[in-house]
Amino acid sequence: MKQKLTSPVQIILLLDLTAMGLTGQLYPGKPKIIRCRSLEKETFSCWWKPGSDGGLPTNYTLFYSKDSEEKIYECPDYRTSGPNSCYFDKNHTNRWTTYNITVMATNEIGSNSSDPQYVDVTSIVQPDAPVNLSLETKTSASIIHLWAKWSPPPLADVSSNSHVYHYDLRLKPEEKEEWEKISVGVQTQYKVIRLQAGVKYVVQVRCKLDLGEWSEWSSERCIQIPRESLPEKPTIIKCRSPEKETFTCWWKPGSDGGHPTNYTLLYSKEGEEQVYECPDYRTAGPNSCYFDKKHTSFWTIYNITVRATNEMGSSVSDPHYVDVTYIVEPDPPVNVTLELKKPINRKPYLVLTWSPPPLADVRSGWLTLEYELRLKPEEGEEWETIFVGQQTQYKMFSLNPGKKYIVQIHCKPDHHGSWSEWSPEKYIQIPADFRVKDMVVWIVVGVLSSLVCLIMSWTMVLKGYRMIAFILPPVPGPKIKGIDTHLLETGKPEELLSALGCHGFPPTSDCEELLIEYLEVEDSEDQQLMPSHDNGHPSKNAKMIPKETDSDSGRGSCDSPSLLSEKCRASCALPSTLQTQDIRDAQENKGGKRSWETQCIASEQTILLSNNESTKSSTWPAAQLPNDQPPVFAYHSTADAHRIILSTTNVNIAPVLVGNEEKHQSQYPITETVHDDMEKQREMENLHSKRDQTAVQVKQNRPNDKSPFLNPKLMDYVEVHKVRQDEEPAVLLKHKKNSGKTEKYTIPGTSKEYTKVSTVVDHNILVLMPDSRIQHTSVSQEPAMETSQNLQQGQAEKNMSYCLTVPSECKRETSGSEYVDPSSFMPSFK
Amino acid sequence: CHTSGMPTPNGKEYAQKIPREELTHLILKLLQAWKEPLSHFNQHIEHHQELPDDSLSKAKQISSMVHELKTGVEKVTEKARFSINSLNGMASSEAAGLSISNEANMMSDSDFIHCFRRDSNKVQSYLKILKCRIMPENSC
Repeated sequence: MKQKLTSPVQIILLLDLTAMGLTGQLYPGKPKIIRCRSLEKETFSCWWKPGSDGGLPTNYTLFYSKDSEEKIYECPDYRTSGPNSCYFDKNHTNRWTTYNITVMATNEIGSNSSDPQYVDVTSIVQPDAPVNLSLETKTSASIIHLWAKWSPPPLADVSSNSHVYHYDLRLKPEEKEEWEKISVGVQTQYKVIRLQAGVKYVVQVRCKLDLGEWSEWSSERCIQIPRESLPEKPTIIKCRSPEKETFTCWWKPGSDGGHPTNYTLLYSKEGEEQVYECPDYRTAGPNSCYFDKKHTSFWTIYNITVRATNEMGSSVSDPHYVDVTYIVEPDPPVNVTLELKKPINRKPYLVLTWSPPPLADVRSGWLTLEYELRLKPEEGEEWETIFVGQQTQYKMFSLNPGKKYIVQIHCKPDHHGSWSEWSPEKYIQIPADFRVKDMVVWIVVGVLSSLVCLIMSWTMVLKGYRMIAFILPPVPGPKIKGIDTHLLETGKPEELLSALGCHGFPPTSDCEELLIEYLEVEDSEDQQLMPSHDNGHPSKNAKMIPKETDSDSGRGSCDSPSLLSEKCRASCALPSTLQTQDIRDAQENKGGKRSWETQCIASEQTILLSNNESTKSSTWPAAQLPNDQPPVFAYHSTADAHRIILSTTNVNIAPVLVGNEEKHQSQYPITETVHDDMEKQREMENLHSKRDQTAVQVKQNRPNDKSPFLNPKLMDYVEVHKVRQDEEPAVLLKHKKNSGKTEKYTIPGTSKEYTKVSTVVDHNILVLMPDSRIQHTSVSQEPAMETSQNLQQGQAEKNMSYCLTVPSECKRETSGSEYVDPSSFMPSFK
Repeated sequence: CHTSGMPTPNGKEYAQKIPREELTHLILKLLQAWKEPLSHFNQHIEHHQELPDDSLSKAKQISSMVHELKTGVEKVTEKARFSINSLNGMASSEAAGLSISNEANMMSDSDFIHCFRRDSNKVQSYLKILKCRIMPENSC
């Protein structure tokens, strides 16, 4: 029963032991807040140092409260600032509050909290140290400076840049211990003076914000101050003479070795031992030496050196040998002027003039300069260089008007030496009036020529035809006597042939032979007879027919102003009749006659059948009157304005119609005239009474003409009634009634008929003669009528070679009868 | 240079001060002094293989030019009727010239050319001054 007693004790002991064991891993130790720090017053961190952890994992938590508030917050960020830290970011940081911070260590057994820490943000501010510290030594005026530069500490939160740091700098020679502290201020650089040459220095910087603590010192930087030494050797740059009377030398100094350095220039002349010093260091500027006229000698070589001296010593430059003659470099030319010259009859040009530089003595010939100029258009890239020589002017011809140019000039001595600088840019503006003048001329020329063209075109338009005709006169067709081209065209062989046959020749004396009886011819001023014998034809023809009529035919033998039917014309009887009978015969035989005949027949009355084709018969000019043509009197024999009026009856025999004005009427008159009724015949008998007027009146069918005579029905043959051969020869025509045409023709031969006109006497008398050859009958008919009308009767009618009648008539009558060709009477009719 | 012994004006002012006759005389002396050395030099370089032909012909050309120049200046002297003293001076300088030319023969080629260049420049400058003094209207 004892055993029962020990177990509780054991249990208790066990428990105690356990408890003791546990407390071996006891409460965590009390943590301790080491420090709290703010970098920039907007955030801060606190670090603590943990106490013993009692052997068990311990959690640390930081609790803080603000000011006197009761509320307790926990640390917002344990990580940012590292282990055992708490980072308060901007949102949790308030400058104006005092934080009461405690850290609690907690483990399984228990917890333990640190002593509270009161943190005022503004008082715990301490920035980081500055960074990027750099050192540099500079020597100026023999004084060595040390330049220190750095950058402010970087911030995690870059947004807040408005912080102003104050900096401190400290330096010391490497071997020394004492720092020399310098308060820099807010700059991030500093110049340190009073340095010892040849010493190595160590430099550090630190910073702080307005209220707060200084940062740590930045890392060290070292620098070696250079030791003072001899000055470096200077070098002579160049020596120049601007006018070949003085010269200057320049040199370049080396480093001065830390001490102020003096420079001296020394020279000696060729062949002399003496060394001189530069007479003038100032005139030409620093580091230069100016030799005036007295000290300049030519054709001698100078030996020039420069010496640099400082406290440590001196050094001498290399010698420089110079002969002044060869180092001439003049100044640029001056007074560059432009002048525009405008000579007459030539293109204007530009004259560029300049003067030599003022110092150069060109007048005495001591220095001779050569010039060169260059120019380019304002926008151009390349210069055009022109060597001018020794003259001081230049003429420029080839510049583009209206453009702007830049020009520069420079010069050099004519022997040795170097080119001067270019003169200042000179702008040339080429006046554009060069071009303007040309333009004006061209414009004027253009306007004038266009005007001329306009005028010409107008005239062409208005008078085109005439102009063309004027310029290119119409080619006249062939004028062959007796050939009517129109007839040719129509191509009726009969007519053609008849036309050919009808071709009349100028009247020959044949006509004269025909004179048998006298024919009284009346001359009247009536109208329009074709005048002009010779040339009359053409004109007549022309007038008569639009187509050309064969003038010749008109003039030809049978100019009888017969009624011109085309037929008649075509037949051209009259003219032809004058010719040999054969021709006539031929004519008669020709178809033309037939046609003629037909026509006649067709229109009984119409002696002259309007031959539609008449127009073709150009042979009979008279016959074919154009419509509106005045009566063209075919036969040339009639003098101008003479009308031969064949008066069968009266003096005024119906005018022979010359030309057929498309009207048969034209024929009528003729015929009528020819075949008048008896009255007329009688009249004719009385004709002689009116002999004074002898004219064969050829009238076209004008109503106002003596158309009264016209009577188509009066196609009648007139027979010579009687011929008087007395002093007043006259042919008296007897009216004859014809029933048929044919009859007419048969008649002939029975009686002695005067069908031939032998001569014309006294200008007004036709002398007819008998012709026994009158056989042609067929022909005689109409033509006979017509032809004979005026001049002949009966046969004679037909045979009225008096071509006054319609030519066709003539033709018809050609049956052997010979017709008087009025042309033969031409002279007399004048 | 062998002609260094000659007293020649070293500057513009000096050249303008001395009378024209003397200047002319000086020019002639100089030209005379180079006559002999030039011909000797020509002979000398003819044996030089490495010189291009241009140089040889050029040297000969220069010799003749110097001679012509001298002739020309003499003509000018006559025309300008400078005093006879100059002619006399010429005679004496002839003798001096011979000795000088002997000296010239001993110069090195580069020195020779250098001296010749200088003296020809001298002659040119003197002539130009002379020209502008005698006839100032021509581009002076």
